[in-house]
Amino acid sequence: MNVEIHRETEIELRHGHTVGRREFFRRITLSAGAAGFLSWSDLVTAKADQIRKDGRACILLWMQGGPSQFETFSPKPGHENGGETKAIDTQTEGIQFSENLPELSRVTEDLCLIRSMTSKEGNHPRATYLLHTGYLPTASLKYPTLGSLVARELSDKSFDLPSFVRVGRGRQGNDSAGFLGVEYDPFVIGDPNRLPDNTTLPTDDRRFQRRLRLLGRLETDYANRGGKQQVVDHEKLYAKASKMVLSSRMEAFDVNREPSTVREAYGSGDFATGCLLARRLVEAGVTFVEVTAGNWDTHDDNFDRCRKLCGDIDRPFAQLIRDLRQRGLLDKTLVVWMGEFGRTPKINPRGGRDHYPRAFDVVLAGAGVRGGQVIGRTDAAGADVKDEPVAVNDLFQTLCHGLNIDANQENMSSIGRPIKVVDGGRVVSKAFG
Amino acid sequence: MARNVIFLSGTILIGWLAGAGIGAASDRVQPNEAAERVDRMLASELPRSGPSALLANDEVFIRRVTLDLLGQSPTPEDVVLFSVDDGAHKRQELIERLLNDSRFGENWGRYWRDVIFYRKTEERALFSAEICAKYLADELNRNASWDQIATAFITATGDVSERGNTGLIMAQGGKPEEVVSEVSRIFLGIQIQCAQCHDHPTDRWKREQFHELAAFFPRVAVRRDMSTQPPKFTVVVNDREQFMPRRPNANQRQIGTPEHRMPDKDDPSARGTVMQPVFFLTSQSLKTGTKDSERRDALAEWITSTSNPWFAKAYVNRIWSELVGEGFYEPVDDLGPDRQCTAPATIDYLAARFADSGYDTRWLFHTIMLTEAYQRVSLARHHPDAAPFQANVPQRLRGDQIFSQISNLFGITDSGVPAGAGARPAMMNRSPRFQFNSIFGYDPSAPRDEIAGSIPQALVLMNHNLIRQGVDARRGILASLLGSIKNDDELVIELYLRGLSRQPSDEELDVCRKYIREIGNRGEAFEDILWSLVNSTEFLHRR
Repeated sequence: MNVEIHRETEIELRHGHTVGRREFFRRITLSAGAAGFLSWSDLVTAKADQIRKDGRACILLWMQGGPSQFETFSPKPGHENGGETKAIDTQTEGIQFSENLPELSRVTEDLCLIRSMTSKEGNHPRATYLLHTGYLPTASLKYPTLGSLVARELSDKSFDLPSFVRVGRGRQGNDSAGFLGVEYDPFVIGDPNRLPDNTTLPTDDRRFQRRLRLLGRLETDYANRGGKQQVVDHEKLYAKASKMVLSSRMEAFDVNREPSTVREAYGSGDFATGCLLARRLVEAGVTFVEVTAGNWDTHDDNFDRCRKLCGDIDRPFAQLIRDLRQRGLLDKTLVVWMGEFGRTPKINPRGGRDHYPRAFDVVLAGAGVRGGQVIGRTDAAGADVKDEPVAVNDLFQTLCHGLNIDANQENMSSIGRPIKVVDGGRVVSKAFG
Repeated sequence: MARNVIFLSGTILIGWLAGAGIGAASDRVQPNEAAERVDRMLASELPRSGPSALLANDEVFIRRVTLDLLGQSPTPEDVVLFSVDDGAHKRQELIERLLNDSRFGENWGRYWRDVIFYRKTEERALFSAEICAKYLADELNRNASWDQIATAFITATGDVSERGNTGLIMAQGGKPEEVVSEVSRIFLGIQIQCAQCHDHPTDRWKREQFHELAAFFPRVAVRRDMSTQPPKFTVVVNDREQFMPRRPNANQRQIGTPEHRMPDKDDPSARGTVMQPVFFLTSQSLKTGTKDSERRDALAEWITSTSNPWFAKAYVNRIWSELVGEGFYEPVDDLGPDRQCTAPATIDYLAARFADSGYDTRWLFHTIMLTEAYQRVSLARHHPDAAPFQANVPQRLRGDQIFSQISNLFGITDSGVPAGAGARPAMMNRSPRFQFNSIFGYDPSAPRDEIAGSIPQALVLMNHNLIRQGVDARRGILASLLGSIKNDDELVIELYLRGLSRQPSDEELDVCRKYIREIGNRGEAFEDILWSLVNSTEFLHRR
């Protein structure tokens, strides 16, 4: 039945005269009703595996500003650098989180915590770029961001939603698809509570198709006078945009379709809604979703601010893991929690912590990652990595491994230089075994 | 021609009044003379693989020049009048007329606002963006020279909501390291910021030199007064003996420090080394303990001095790149010293004459626009191995330019933010221009061939209410045109003139005729045609 619906959609789009979206939905609902129990999301979930190569997906929970490792996953209660933050036991023996993360402490069996991330970049935009692309920014070359790389490797080109969706405001840095090209740029949603802007057609579908055909015919002149490449890019973009607005899968963007019990389980706030949206999108076949929680740049009043910031992410993150597991999606969905760097072990005179890339945390879950373990550690003061240091390229190798992406293959850049997906580094194999 | 004489004698007068030194009248080369020289130099300096492209026709030229100078397309009347004008100097006269239009300052004020604010590291600086743009517009329109503008930005103090020249410092939250990185990038075309943490791997700058540059700004800070609504930001200077302690990297920098300290790489928590203010290009220096005003005045003077070629070169490279479509150096804000230049003698000549003009921005626009390199038809960006500047390169329009096109076409009011105190982010966010820019805008310093369209942009043009209402045959512009122009061909031509500032080609006219017949409903057919023009590639580019 799924296959049938898939084929139907394709045929309608190819022939350029779709039935109206509403009618299409009515048909799906009817057939689902006939099957007796299948909901819309059952249908798309069943399909999601066929859409993505190997069914793999990735959700990046991005903590903009550089979250304090001490107030999140690596408390140091016995040391003066630990400040007032207390540690609590988790579900897993021997692993302690900060008291700010009670919900996450109950899902540790699925979490792999890396306490030995280390980098040298302490400037927000540059470090944001580094942790997203695996490369430092250069003037001459725009490296693709993780979501674009993954979307390119794993997504099906004929998929009608964007394969890379970025949710949330307050993100710094300008990482995008870079030299991979506009096709793999993130589709950005500022407010996860609303449908994406301008996705409702002003006319009926047939009229819209008619306009697109006319537009195509009127592009020739400009193409013939020096604008050929731009017209080709423009047409690609319009093909993608129109396929998207006509897609039945657009409902995936509407979190209000979730039962209130599900919404409540995720908690409240934009990040919570973002996590729920991420799950819906992955379920519908989107390959990569990035959800941002901002304001982690706690140069002052670190402890109160972290308490509140952790309060915003604790429940949604934990529920996302539970929800993905319950729906059978966690095995093939890699969840990554990270920011651009950590924060200084020393507490500054304003009760804040400054930028500290030398030792910080990353959390992984799903896609074959073995939970219930910690990789690496820092010294008692939290100043230096003691065991198993993980550099940014090591992390990227590890992410690629979890997603079945060959990290050593090369993409051709705009200046004609082949660029490896990841430059050097080694898979942290312990994460998977 | 008469206009030309008046214009030049006016600037000569200003040159005389400015007195001795830079920009003396006798040094000024006439734009057409300089333009011819530039074309000759390029011809001898560049390897040639074939003949250069032909000059663009009048329709292409007037749209190009009007978009480049005023940030919007010419009106249908302008296009038609220009096409039928057979005066020998009509292109030069058009350039001069547009240079004296106040929209010139507005357009380039917005451009420089984007140059500054796309690199902001202080998010709250956003509210000052429009104030900065307005300031720049006024300065450019009163023909302030580029050195005056640069000096004003480097030496700015005071209330951010009143003084637009505080924009650069505000955008970086007053942090000395960030401010000097931007000063160097924007006014010198030198990316010294990479030397902040380590000796520059590909340039010759040392870490000390970066921090010596930062040492011109330690006493500057941005103070935030939250007791007022909206909060008030002030660029403040502290020259007192006693200073509040401040830690490096703190993002709340509300008060300056007496001297800049270079952090200890091995021990970030150490106080670091006090740095003396030294300008890396000339090694001119000041003593520690020097007052802020003396530091920044000196830096501005050394940067803008005609003995420092980088200042003129950075501006020339950028404006040339914007107008011709590719720069002598790319990216536009990375000139070296160890970067490749496509035609070094030509840019040196143009930069030197620009300095001779007293850094007269209009002189430079005028000169470049008179070159054949500018006036050729546009072709796709040349292959890296082929010679540059053999044709103009089509440019994707900036968000402001696209918005102006749409608002002119549909008669949408441009409710920008009123500048001055009371301008609030909330107000600004409601302005259609602002919303539009947040989707269509891009960093003008980024390589232009990497600026690509996005799905949200396509969705706006396809589906946004402004467009939906704009193409509605029952109201607005289309309703009145449908009523007044009964001949279909004429109406198609009218829409092309309004949308793309040109007549349709025979093929295009034919496509439209067939379409109108096929649809059988005149109003609907023309709605679709107008929609297609707004959604076309050409609408978003200048060729």
